[in-house]
Amino acid sequence: MSSQRSTILLADDDPTIADSLAPFLERAGFHVLVVSDGVSALEKAQAHQPELIILDVLMPRMDGRETLRRLRKAKIWTPTILLTQVGEASERALALEEGADDYLNKPFDPHELLARIRAVLRRVRPGERSLSAAWLLSAHDLSLDRRARRATLGGQTVELTPKALAVLEYLMTHPDEAVTRERLLEAVWGWAYPAGTRTVDTRMAELRRALNDDPAEPRFIETIPGEGYRFIAPVRGEG
Amino acid sequence: MVKRSWLNLLLVFLPLLAGIVEFILITIWAQSLPPFMVTADFGIFALVFGMTIRNLGIVALLTGLFITGVLLILYNRAVRRQEQMQMRLEEARREAEQARRSFLRRLDHEIKNPLTGLRAALVNMQEVRSETDRQRAVENASHAVERLTRLLTDLRKLSDLGERPIELWQVDVPDLLQDVVDAAKMLPEYKGREVSLLIPKVPSPFPTITGDRDLLVLAIYNLTENALKFTCETDSVEIRLGEDGRAILIEVADSGVGIPAEDISKIFEELYRGSNARSTEGSGLGLALVHRIISLHGGTITVRSSQEEPRGTVFTVRLPVSKKGFALRPSR
Repeated sequence: MSSQRSTILLADDDPTIADSLAPFLERAGFHVLVVSDGVSALEKAQAHQPELIILDVLMPRMDGRETLRRLRKAKIWTPTILLTQVGEASERALALEEGADDYLNKPFDPHELLARIRAVLRRVRPGERSLSAAWLLSAHDLSLDRRARRATLGGQTVELTPKALAVLEYLMTHPDEAVTRERLLEAVWGWAYPAGTRTVDTRMAELRRALNDDPAEPRFIETIPGEGYRFIAPVRGEG
Repeated sequence: MVKRSWLNLLLVFLPLLAGIVEFILITIWAQSLPPFMVTADFGIFALVFGMTIRNLGIVALLTGLFITGVLLILYNRAVRRQEQMQMRLEEARREAEQARRSFLRRLDHEIKNPLTGLRAALVNMQEVRSETDRQRAVENASHAVERLTRLLTDLRKLSDLGERPIELWQVDVPDLLQDVVDAAKMLPEYKGREVSLLIPKVPSPFPTITGDRDLLVLAIYNLTENALKFTCETDSVEIRLGEDGRAILIEVADSGVGIPAEDISKIFEELYRGSNARSTEGSGLGLALVHRIISLHGGTITVRSSQEEPRGTVFTVRLPVSKKGFALRPSR
């Protein structure tokens, strides 16, 4: 029944990674196409129209970023996970700029990749431009200008630390998704920190205070006990 | 840039050469003049210098000699300074090269061990028959992968720290230290132990520091983790806070085995492992990270340790207190 399985295009030039990940994803119920460079990834993406693309950043002939840029330029909105080094703020900004739907740091646990794939497939509607590719995000009276790194609430600028802003950005681009504290740490901080979960909670408290969001009756961020957080307001993307 | 070269030397001796030429020309010229003109004084010229045409040549020669002498002294001084600077540069380059080599050697060692464990575990996975042995091989393989991942993560932290700007916000230090103690409680080494946190009641509120709270937590946590690693249940571990008006002092002290004197100067080097730390697990980058973080905050870290009674180790971190009216903005 391979026709009912979602197709994933996996582009990684390291055969030890591709050869191990492909059977793992196949076992998880996906049909996997493997390519080893950006040019082939671009061709296969256009020819086979997979449901999701996984792109490594460093690849011969055309790197993952350029591949993703060209896909988006050609209005191909296939959800894409970038295997990148997002510890650095500039790298994360780049990954978002190119319209990646999610990103994962190498080395990663294959189960984490699987969780990311499932979350992205649940979130993104086929053929539609995802929130990750939008520069202006808005929910109720809250809007986030990702390029200017500025959030406003009811037209008033919200004073936020860069980390809290990055947390807000991650939550708004992953609305209605249960985001664990560990995931936030990896995506926003880039490293695992000691007292990590408390670190996330501190920033979340800051964010809630700035957004006048009551944890008991949240308009924006809901706490999922024992799990993490969820952005519950409907998010629109522009630009 | 003044270099030792023939051209430069020629330029230095040019005034002397000119003086000699002038002396010869004047002497020859003086011979063709009538005797009274050679020895006679010449008005104002003579009043000022009291000289004759003949000793005018000597004056030119001496002036040339003087200028050359001065130039020679200046030239030598500049060249020596230049050479010293080059020597220092060369020495720094040699030291950097040596540090790079020793870093690679240490890295090789740190990677080799878990990799050997991983290979052995893979062989065991293929060859062992019983499910229990296979399970043990899988656990060993996972453990080796975890060690490699930890090493890689710490290397990335170190390189990230050199490249990205740190956030600068006001940090409440007692609160930060409480977070460190809470996080340390999750460590397996903490079992059956206690970390005493000593926070003074005065001044109140305690002065704040300006910096990246997450990074500072990481630094003090690393010191605390180390203290717990190198002590046993009967030893004490303390985190003490103090201030002297200009700086905040955080001390992480333990009554453990202490650091050998020959290791003290090297413990902040990347991947350096002291002789009594080799059997203890860790990436070998923890203290290098602490040093980098504290330096990025304009602070200092020092260590004193004794292996004889009263034995123990004290790491002292000094961080400048926030200036009054400091604008709370990130360093972007």
